[in-house]
Amino acid sequence: MSEKPENRLERIVSDLMRGRRLKLRPKDAEEKEAIIMAARLAATRQGPQRMSPAFRQALGRQIDAMPRDGWVSRRTALVAGLGIAAGTVGGLLAGRGLEGPQTVAAKEIVPDGGEWFPVGTLEDFPIGTARQVRAGAIGAFVTRTDDSVLAVSSICSDLPCELWWDAKHSVLACPCHNKTFSTEGRSNEAYPLPPLDTVKVRITAEGRVEVFGI
Amino acid sequence: MTAAGSQPPEELRRRGEVVEFPSPARSTDIALDELEIVYAFIYARVGNRADAEDLTQQVAMKAIPRLRENAPPSAIRGYLFATARSVLGAFWSVRLGLSESELREDLAMIPPAPVGSDDSGERARQILAGLSDNYRRVLELRFLHGYSLKEVAAEMKSTVGAVKVMQLRALRAAAKVRLDE
Repeated sequence: MSEKPENRLERIVSDLMRGRRLKLRPKDAEEKEAIIMAARLAATRQGPQRMSPAFRQALGRQIDAMPRDGWVSRRTALVAGLGIAAGTVGGLLAGRGLEGPQTVAAKEIVPDGGEWFPVGTLEDFPIGTARQVRAGAIGAFVTRTDDSVLAVSSICSDLPCELWWDAKHSVLACPCHNKTFSTEGRSNEAYPLPPLDTVKVRITAEGRVEVFGI
Repeated sequence: MTAAGSQPPEELRRRGEVVEFPSPARSTDIALDELEIVYAFIYARVGNRADAEDLTQQVAMKAIPRLRENAPPSAIRGYLFATARSVLGAFWSVRLGLSESELREDLAMIPPAPVGSDDSGERARQILAGLSDNYRRVLELRFLHGYSLKEVAAEMKSTVGAVKVMQLRALRAAAKVRLDE
């Protein structure tokens, strides 16, 4: 016998009010809006939250262990005012942190043990239009230029979000932060993001377009 | 002026004559301070510590290695929040099969409130104010005062079964209340 909606929600509310993790079952999706609202209201009772000292300490250790390529520059920290003591900043800024944007070479995705996946014929790819395809686990945008094709990853190089083809502006757009890329994967921003990874693509003798995935 | 990593005398620091560059340990502190705000943002949406910790950790692991030197000053917080939005979207999507468009309002890129401010509390009060008296009362007692179902039933002179149904309907109604951002 299936659980009544009011009982289902009470189970979730009861867990939330005891500070327990959200344990949801597939049928719970029927009350998704109510569940999201319950989580918000449960949070309200607790008031604004801070990390526990133990969690903050553990997170700090993880951050310390991360590859550190100057994730926050002196200039960024100073100009952003992130808790740094202010002082005679002007002269310092002139000396550092005003370098131009850096260009980074695109990486090619070549999965170990990968294979070629057919994604259509050449005619399926109108010139100048990026078409989203999947080669197993690899998502890509394939663009045709005359009789050749190129493919770039469908994941933004900056945030872990899937890009979409903005046909009006002929760009690949990231929904997470309004950044765009050309069909070749170059960032269109004044302060360029890293380029999109490239994906191997080929046209077979029979005119099929194939993408290397896994 | 002091070089990176050295400790300026407290007196100079107070007088504002010292510019202290972040040492590696210091930049971890900066990251943690920013992540405090991210944690509060996430907690206000998932309502429990365990999930909020998991998701904050995911944000840190995804965003921090990708923050680049010379990023625009506004980028750090914006980047962390954009990542938090993406991580929260994936969380609800996996748990409830929601699409990002359905979460647009919940994950709106509102400017983060300072730690300690009660923006989400004010928002909740506005939502409750948009409900009928009975619905508002049941949610206030249950969520804001922490009453059990039995206590709510006694307070409202009703039965546990009826309160359970009213709670469901009240939450559905609250989810439909639209607030002006």
